[in-house]
Amino acid sequence: MDTSQYLNVFMDECQEHLQILNQSLLDLEKDPENIDILHAIFRSAHTLKGASATMGFNKMANVTHAMEDVLGLLRKQELQINPEIINLLFDALDLLEALAKGITEGREEDIEVAGILQRLKKYSQQPEEKTTPADSNDRRKKLQLRYTAEEKENISKLLESGSFLYHLDIQLKKDCLLKGARAFMILRELESVGTIMRTIPTAKELEDEQFDLEFIIGLCSKEPIEKIVKLIKRVTDVKEVKSESVKAEEILIERRESKPQEVQTTVAKTETAGSAAQKKDEPAQKPSSPVHTGPNIYPTVRVDIRKLDTLMNLIAELVINRSQIEQLSSEIKDQRLEETVEHLSRLTIDLRDQVLKTRMVSIDQVFSRFPRLVRDLAKGTQKEVELQLSGVDTELDRTVIDEIGDPLVHIIRNCVDHGIEKPEEREAAGKPRTGVVALDAYQTGNSVIITVTDDGRGMDPEKIGAAAVEKGFITKDALDDLSDQEKINLIFLPGFSTAKEVSDVSGRGVGMDAVKNKISALGGVVSINSVPGEGTKFTIQLPLTLAIIQTLMIQLGEEVYAIPTSFVDQTISVNRKDIKILRHQEVTLLRGEVIPLLRLQDYLGIQGARNSDLDELDVVVFKSGEKRVGCVVDSLLRQQDVVIKSLGGFLGNIPGIAGATILGDGRVALILDLRDVA
Amino acid sequence: MKKEEVREETTQLVVFKLGEEEFGVNILQVREIEKLDQGLTRVPKAPHFVEGVINLRGEIIPIVDLRKRFGLTLPPLGLDSRVIIVEVGEEAVGMLVDAVVEVLRVPLSAIEAAPSITKGVNSYYLAGVAKIEERLIVLLNLERALSPEEAEELSKAELG
Repeated sequence: MDTSQYLNVFMDECQEHLQILNQSLLDLEKDPENIDILHAIFRSAHTLKGASATMGFNKMANVTHAMEDVLGLLRKQELQINPEIINLLFDALDLLEALAKGITEGREEDIEVAGILQRLKKYSQQPEEKTTPADSNDRRKKLQLRYTAEEKENISKLLESGSFLYHLDIQLKKDCLLKGARAFMILRELESVGTIMRTIPTAKELEDEQFDLEFIIGLCSKEPIEKIVKLIKRVTDVKEVKSESVKAEEILIERRESKPQEVQTTVAKTETAGSAAQKKDEPAQKPSSPVHTGPNIYPTVRVDIRKLDTLMNLIAELVINRSQIEQLSSEIKDQRLEETVEHLSRLTIDLRDQVLKTRMVSIDQVFSRFPRLVRDLAKGTQKEVELQLSGVDTELDRTVIDEIGDPLVHIIRNCVDHGIEKPEEREAAGKPRTGVVALDAYQTGNSVIITVTDDGRGMDPEKIGAAAVEKGFITKDALDDLSDQEKINLIFLPGFSTAKEVSDVSGRGVGMDAVKNKISALGGVVSINSVPGEGTKFTIQLPLTLAIIQTLMIQLGEEVYAIPTSFVDQTISVNRKDIKILRHQEVTLLRGEVIPLLRLQDYLGIQGARNSDLDELDVVVFKSGEKRVGCVVDSLLRQQDVVIKSLGGFLGNIPGIAGATILGDGRVALILDLRDVA
Repeated sequence: MKKEEVREETTQLVVFKLGEEEFGVNILQVREIEKLDQGLTRVPKAPHFVEGVINLRGEIIPIVDLRKRFGLTLPPLGLDSRVIIVEVGEEAVGMLVDAVVEVLRVPLSAIEAAPSITKGVNSYYLAGVAKIEERLIVLLNLERALSPEEAEELSKAELG
């Protein structure tokens, strides 16, 4: 079967379930008694198994299958949850993630799964050797449960015509070499005397040897049970056959039950008379199939992100067109036209907002990775760390979400590795043993703020300064001029790391400078506040969306440029008299601070700029780290929301230019990013 | 099979002029031909042969002046000048030319390798020349002609 067209769907589903597994395992670790969590894990593993087997990803199918076996035992409480098993399950999950990645990159084959399979099987096979009656009983229950309504119909017909329903629990000898062949022979023998209704595992899995030593068969036959058992035992390598004759009533009860149970998954949890009766009949039996447990699940549609991009572009066109029409209508001055145009404007804005919303994804997608990260980090560093998440519903543009994960991982690593102290150290300092790393996200205006706070030892400006001098980033004299905050900001320099010892947690070559660069590339800003002994707070400010940004339009000569307002510290008006020359550089005083002034026309090579002739100069002040730089322009035009367009690969990386946008009159204006110039 | 032997294989060229000389690009690489009737937006710090960018129905297209690109000294663009929008890889780029002449079908056999300098253009930028009767049409290698790198450096690197 050609399954490539389903690959995307499969991968989406796969990611979802991996996410659920990850979260549920973390929950399970905290609350090992909670059977519901275990059920959730089992369901996800089961779904993954089915999906991956259908897609032909056998490695993933095998691993999930082995996981399912262990989880099944845990669920039946034949195996006790202990940290070792949890770790094993986490390892298996990591392997699944690696496989998922491998599948997308087309190198699934290279990933080794045997180790994990063996470790998983060690657990799942142990108890089976001492197969207790309870165990097989339970299995048989499962066998009954799995009859579909149609099969039940068939069974009851066969029973009415004089057949019996037997459940056969067959065990092969441990040293059996051709398990698949033996199982096949048994199935063939049985087919000659009756109808096989169901096997666990499936007949296909039996043939492929995807079972341990035991399998179960549901058989309808007119022959007496003794004869059937004898028939099976004739096959070589059969160790033991347990048989049970199932009464018609049991099946019929189930037949009645099956209907409300199926309904349950679609209609919410209304207690029907039928299901109440069912509970009386079999109080211990939990329905194993309902999938929708969360509240209010609305139907959703998966859409290729590129389609949304196209839609966004079309809307942008429409917005531009709208302003052209507005322009025309204001020239024509017809009231009816103006009203229509106004209505059109409102519609376009609504439309744009809605499309923007469809691109928004809650930050939970990123945050949900971190509990696991913090757990592993804490274990690796022998620290006790609690992760607190808030604001997980905050939404950001999909593109920002995709990019923000790595910088956050790095910051969190830093917090756990460098920030949080060892438990003993914390106690000595009068703090609780367990350190806290808190992530928060919230929206303000057109930005989203993400903060990462730890209550660790904080950053010591003196130590950072000393290290910077030692590494030759800064001279000792220059260091003395820096404020404490500026010293802390030194960690953003490329190649800077204060870790005294190289741990396997941080110090992997990605420094804070990479974090800063990434966030800058997203049009964001990162800053640090730290109080020695009390902790550190990283604050990241990101634009809500990358597609539409608020800009300040400026004019220089005949040219118009857009500057994202998020880059702008403030705009000021400077009188010519207040400009001084300091070391060949024009400077001015801004509330006691000396800021250099840059004539933008020189930097951008613009002809005919007028500002050198003006007495009052409009200056846009940029903030780069703690430094401010003023850029002199001819005039400030207006604030305007613009759609960012790429200049394309041909003009790719021109320093100072972040992209382009199309103005109301159809002309192109470039978007300036002068933070690095400043 | 026989037909192929009889009918010679051909390719279609869009023929345009830089100054008085005729150049050609494969028609499959040409997306459209436009008049430059809107304002160009200059891009600071772009390569010297990039005139600027235009808005082509919502898409930002860089405009390359081929004359500057090839270092030809020619009079300013006249009324017949056009922008040929070509596709190079994933990118659309506009080429400013003095005039678009015609679409011409040429037999592949008429195309020869370009001499090292053809009509003042470094052969590094060229895919060959087509000789049709008395005409000599210079075929461009768009991947090279429209890459931001300079020919001198590149051809040196290739030779070295």
